Amino acid sequence: MIGIVVVSHSLALAEAAVALADEMVHGEGPVVAVAAGAAGGFGTDATEVRRAMEKAASPDGVLVLMDLGSAVLSAELALELGPPSEHAVRLTAAPMVEGLVAAVVRAVGGADLETVAREAEAALLPKVVSLAEHTPRPALVAVEADASARLTLVNPQGLHARPAAQIATAVGGLAAEVAVESGGRRADASSSLELMTLGAGQGTEITVSAVGADAAQAVAAVREMVEAGFGELEAS
Amino acid sequence: MGSLSVVEAVTVDRLVAWLSAFRDAVHEHGDYLTELDSAIGDADHGANLIRGMDAVMAAVEQSPGSAGDLLKKVGMTLVTSVGGASGPLYGTFFLRAATAAGDATVLDGPALLAALRAGLEGIVARGKAEAGDKTMYDALAPAMGAFEEALASGAEPDVAARAAADAAAAGRDATEPMLALKGRASYLGERSVGHLDPGAASSALLVAALADTLES
Repeated sequence: MIGIVVVSHSLALAEAAVALADEMVHGEGPVVAVAAGAAGGFGTDATEVRRAMEKAASPDGVLVLMDLGSAVLSAELALELGPPSEHAVRLTAAPMVEGLVAAVVRAVGGADLETVAREAEAALLPKVVSLAEHTPRPALVAVEADASARLTLVNPQGLHARPAAQIATAVGGLAAEVAVESGGRRADASSSLELMTLGAGQGTEITVSAVGADAAQAVAAVREMVEAGFGELEAS
Repeated sequence: MGSLSVVEAVTVDRLVAWLSAFRDAVHEHGDYLTELDSAIGDADHGANLIRGMDAVMAAVEQSPGSAGDLLKKVGMTLVTSVGGASGPLYGTFFLRAATAAGDATVLDGPALLAALRAGLEGIVARGKAEAGDKTMYDALAPAMGAFEEALASGAEPDVAARAAADAAAAGRDATEPMLALKGRASYLGERSVGHLDPGAASSALLVAALADTLES
């Protein structure tokens, strides 16, 4: 079973999140080590994170969840303190509370590190989807797109957190408004959360359309990533 | 170039004096740093650095060996004592500088620059900051550039450090109109405009402390 580390600015916050996730465990659960607070107050301490990584160490790997920014800095620095871990240690962008619950549940089920990480990263999706219904937004990208393409998602997990973030990052810097459409829904391609609300899985056909000076470049960039399976294909 | 300036090279004792001067500076300007941080952050930058630098000076009291040993001790102490984002960032700065300085007990101008540059690269790797993001990078990067330029034109380390301090101060001032793109200040969006970045301000103090120390 994988081990889990929770890095938080607040010990109370981390312990409560762990207790919440622990409600989902009936029987043997994963080791969940906490590194939270610093110098008696809010903050994070990379040496504490390192100790937590060692405490949660497992041949199946360790998943690290973090709250705000400097928790990420401390977790990254922790990897550099001392020799590299013998086992995989993975920092995940998953939301701390939702991600921890999802991760604990999947870890108990015996899932491998890769799968647990993916589930944790997708843990925000149910909330995003249910709230998206309440937040109508003006249609993005006029009917007359400067460039568009119909593409099929070939990677196993479709537009989950990481591919969505890759697309958002790629088009975010371009002079173009880019929309991705799937199953009658439309998302702003510069928002990874909106892309995730499409719930587009493997084999789904999506339409990418763009207006603006960089429209063709934007569509080409998305096409390239989709066709390359977002770099996930070599594993399958 | 053959001149017999007393600061041709920087000894470990000089580095300790630099750290001590920085400790004094964060004490003197702690309220100011915290005030800057209360405008766009969590109002603890001054207190964090005071706690960190007090811990550093306590840790380096026992005479450390090489420049690398000293700087490593500084980095580890900051990591464990600062708490906020400046802990891992300043910590990484000194840890990377330590690796670059290695076993040397005396750093000449280029060696000092190499150590500082390695530290800056560590901050970039850690924080993914770029020029104009309104971070400590915006003070430190121009400082390194000025240091390097001064050395290249034949200046001694003290003169180069003063040029670096001036560039760091200008870089700090230039963060005022910037929109914060990193750290918790980035949550404020447009509201971050019109305030100096606290990290850039403390970084300018760090470089100024180096210049003051090498000139004395």
